[in-house]
This record gives sequence, C-alpha cells and structure tokens, in this order.
Amino acid sequence: MPDKSVIIGDMQAILPMIVLWVTASVIALGDVSLWKRGNKAINPLLAIVGVLVAFKFLVNTPRVASGATAFAKSLAIDPLGQISGIALLVTAVLSILLAWTYLKNRGLDHAEYYVLLLLSLTGAMMMASANDLIVLFLGLEILSFGLYVMAGFARTEERSEEASVKYFLLGAFGSAFLLYGIALVYGATQSTNLEQIRATLSSSSGAPGPMLLAGIGLLIVGLGFKAAIVPFHQWTPDVYEGAPTAATAYMAGAAKIGAFAAMLRVFGALTPVAASWLPAIQILAIVTMVFGNLLAVTQTNVKRLLAYSSIAHAGYLLVAIAALPSETVNGIASNAPDLAVGGALFYLFAYVFMTLGAFGVLVYLSSKGRDVQHVNDLRGLAKREPAAAYAMMFFMLSLGGIPPTMGFMGKWQIFYAAVTGQQIMLAIVMALTSAMAVYYYLRVVWVMCFEETTEAAAPEPVARTGAMAAIMLAAAATIVFGIAPNLLNAITGMGP
Amino acid sequence: MTANLTHYLALSAALFGIGLYGVLARRNAIAVLMGIELMLNAANINFLAFWRFLAPNSVEPQVYVLVVLTVAAAEAAVGLAVVLNVYRSFGTVNLDEIARLKG
Repeated sequence: MPDKSVIIGDMQAILPMIVLWVTASVIALGDVSLWKRGNKAINPLLAIVGVLVAFKFLVNTPRVASGATAFAKSLAIDPLGQISGIALLVTAVLSILLAWTYLKNRGLDHAEYYVLLLLSLTGAMMMASANDLIVLFLGLEILSFGLYVMAGFARTEERSEEASVKYFLLGAFGSAFLLYGIALVYGATQSTNLEQIRATLSSSSGAPGPMLLAGIGLLIVGLGFKAAIVPFHQWTPDVYEGAPTAATAYMAGAAKIGAFAAMLRVFGALTPVAASWLPAIQILAIVTMVFGNLLAVTQTNVKRLLAYSSIAHAGYLLVAIAALPSETVNGIASNAPDLAVGGALFYLFAYVFMTLGAFGVLVYLSSKGRDVQHVNDLRGLAKREPAAAYAMMFFMLSLGGIPPTMGFMGKWQIFYAAVTGQQIMLAIVMALTSAMAVYYYLRVVWVMCFEETTEAAAPEPVARTGAMAAIMLAAAATIVFGIAPNLLNAITGMGP
Repeated sequence: MTANLTHYLALSAALFGIGLYGVLARRNAIAVLMGIELMLNAANINFLAFWRFLAPNSVEPQVYVLVVLTVAAAEAAVGLAVVLNVYRSFGTVNLDEIARLKG
C-alpha cells in the first residue's frame, strides 16, 4: 500500500484532467436535469470556466521536473507534459469560443458537443504526459472517441456523417497498428515503460532484433495516422472538409499536439536504437513536407487547403523529431535534442494560434444557410469585413512562415535545431518547401484584398462575438509571440 | 510437440494479416470494423504469449489485455453509432457509396 503522500502527489498530477472530467459531467447532467436543455449559453460558459480552472491547476502542479513521474512511473510530470498541456488548454478555449458561435449559427447548439470536447481533451492531456506505451494508447483512444463523434456532430448533413465514418475507420485502423507495435516492443524489451525501454535499449549491445524493428515500424505507422503524415494522410482532407468547422479547428489543434507530444516522448526513449528508425523518419519528413505543400497548391476549398497545410506542418515537426537523437555531434555533446523539443513545442503553439485563427475566420463568416469554406467565399472580404480579413492575412502570413509572425519564429527554431543536429538535408527541404507554401497562402490573401465580391449579400449570422474574440486572441498571439518569442517561453516556462 | 513462443507469434501475425486484409479488401463498414477488431485481438494474443513465455511472474500483460478489451468495446460502440448514423442518411454502409466529399 503506497503511503498517503504518494497518493496525494499522484492526484495532484492528474488534477487538471479530473477538473475537465468533472466539468464535462456537470454539463452533461446539468443539461438534462437542471437547465433542461433550455439555457444554451451556460454550456460553453461552464466549459470555459472548467478549462481555465484546469489551466490554473496545471501551471501550479507541484514537483514538475524532468524525469519526475506519478502513478508508478506511468505518467510523467515534466515540462514537456506541462507545456503541451498548456497548448491543449489554449486550443480548447479557442475551440469553445468558436463552437459557441458556429453551433448557434448552424442550429447545432447541443450540450453534448462541449462534453465530448472536454472528455477528448482529457485524453489528449493524458497522451501528452504518458510515460508508458499503454497509457499513451489509452489517452489516444480517449482523444479519438470524442473526435470521431464531433466530426459527425452535424448529424443530418451527409458530409459530416461521411467525415465521421472515414475518420473512425482510419483512426481505429491506425490505433490497431499502434497497439500491435506496442505489443512487439513489449516483447522485445519486456516493458512498456518508456524510461525502462530506454534503459534496456542502451544497456543491450548489438543490432536490434527483428521483433523490435517491426514494433518500431508499427509505432511509426500508428502515430503517423494520428499526426497525418504522408502516406498515412488520406483521411485528413475529407475529414477536415466534412466535419463542422468548429470541430475541424479543435481536431486540427488537439490531435496534432497530442500526437507530437507522444512522438517526442516515444522517439526520445528510442534514441539508443536511433540508427534503425532515423532513416524512416527522415524519408517521411521529406515526403510529408513535399506532398503536403504540393497538394495544397491546387485546393480551392479553404478547409481542404488548411488540411494539406496541416500535413505540411506535420512534416516540419517531423524534422524536429529527426533532430532528437543527435545527442552528440562529431563526438561532442550537443544541445540539439533540447532545441528540437523546445522548437517543436513552440511550433505547436504557433500552429494552434494560426490554424485555429484561420478556421475561426471561416466560423465567423458562416451563418445558418451558408457554411463558408470556399476560397471564392472570401472574395472582397477586406471591404466587407476588414477586421476578419486582416486577421486572416496575419494567419496566412504566419502559416507561410513570413516574419515577424509566430510561424516564422517556430520554423526558425526547428530549422536551427535541425542544423545543430546535423540534419542538413532536412533543413534544406524545409526551407524550400516553406517557400513553395507561401504561394498558396498568399493566394488567399490576394482573393480577400484584390478580388471583388460577386455574390448576393448572405444572411447575417446570428451571433459572432465568440468567434471574433477567438480570432482576435489568436491574431494577437501570432504577432506578439512572433515579435517577442521569449515572452511565450517566459509564460509557459519553456525553453532552455 | 508443444507450442512455443514462435507459434503464438505466428498465429497472432496471421490474425493481424487477416484483419488487415479485411480492412483493405471489404467495402462494408461493419466488415471493416470486424477487421480492426481482429487486429486488436492479434495484439492481445501477443501480450499473452509474451506473458506466458517471457515474463510468467508479471501481471502487467494480463492487465493490458483487459484494458485493450475495454477500449475495443468502447470503440465498437462509438463505431456502430457512427455507422448507424451514416446508414440513416445514405441508406447503405458500403464505403464506395459513401463518397460525397471529393478526394
């Protein structure tokens, strides 16, 4: 029987998740018993309060240190988990604000959406702090179950239903690969604990056996499905396009953060056998960057464009993963792994602000009869809706990696980590494909600013305050943290 | 001849392969879901084989199998609900006919 202080410490480590779970339960039960589906505004309000309380507990978690663990070493309470947790909660606040507007304007204003969002957020946070492969699997599934249903939340629209079923089948398919990979890694190392796996691998000499290699390969495939890495990306454009825009925004942020936080941990633990998986990651990174950007060029639907853009961004993040094993360069100890983790986390924050901001503009413009998602819907936006148009311009510039935005700083940090870790080839491909990406991002800006609107005036959306608040928050963050990146590091306690 | 670890791993790999084939070859959403379940259960066989032959004193693999079974049950519940919802609108669960999104 563990003593009392251990139990208290364990509980403190998962307090943010408990708060989210309790909030979800209160909304679910309150909606049917207290306010009886009458008061629609109370659900998003409660959800935001819950996320803010969770945020408070997360930043105040005691004993956060590199290598600190809870629940018999199955959960890490380290800066990586804490910072990706903060990124997840930021994603949640922005998505709740967007959902508030979107669901109301589209007549989908049900409490279940917020319940699902909070529960899947719990899973994402568990995934980001998982120090054990089984806990990682469990977190991934909790995250995914919520997302599958949220993708199909507009349940009378065929496109939303199709997105949901496609996401479910491919997501579950990916999970099956991941689990089989976990089983094989367990067989090869006799442990699912990441620390233990790392210790076993570094003490064993000789080439890794076929079982371990197959296990690592399947882990890459499984996580690749979740992170939308080419060639496991086929579901992404369809799901992003079909899902309700507010759900797409949340999915884009939360799934990416969860998947990459987990990848940073898993591949960090697999560093002793890096020679066996690094070539695969390098090839996947190059293929993902090239194809993500190439396929985005021809898209005329903004949601599909952002889907391919999110694939390309996954490629940039993979560059950071490839720099992880460079613990020594030419025999000298290198800080490339720290730079890679710091760069990836900064990039995830940048990705959240600019991607959710861009989806936010679509949400802001959508009304009951009209779901804005085509590039042509944005024609002449600079005249009709200057605030939204200029915010969108900043998001596009940031996604394209143009200074002084956060997207540029993020790319710079990953680029720097890659060069320090001697991944020169990846750094070059990253720079070239980023330049290519500017074309399709600027096309959106061009359409907004220089083309005349041709359509009849659309019906005015009913409510849009929530979306505007989210857009402004995201735009401010994109610019402020782009000019002063150290401010983000200071706020989150991130960086060297 | 008694079965050893290799036999169990071969069994599980075969089961995984059958599941994989089902997912890739069948167009019925329910059949695809069944394929995925086979793949998850192949991983369970692996866990139990490793427990029996490599770590007979450890309880961890047995707990993992119970966790995976629970997750698989929840997954089937979510998946069937999603498929049912699609069936209501499309009138079919054939994945080739559920294709309104381009791509």
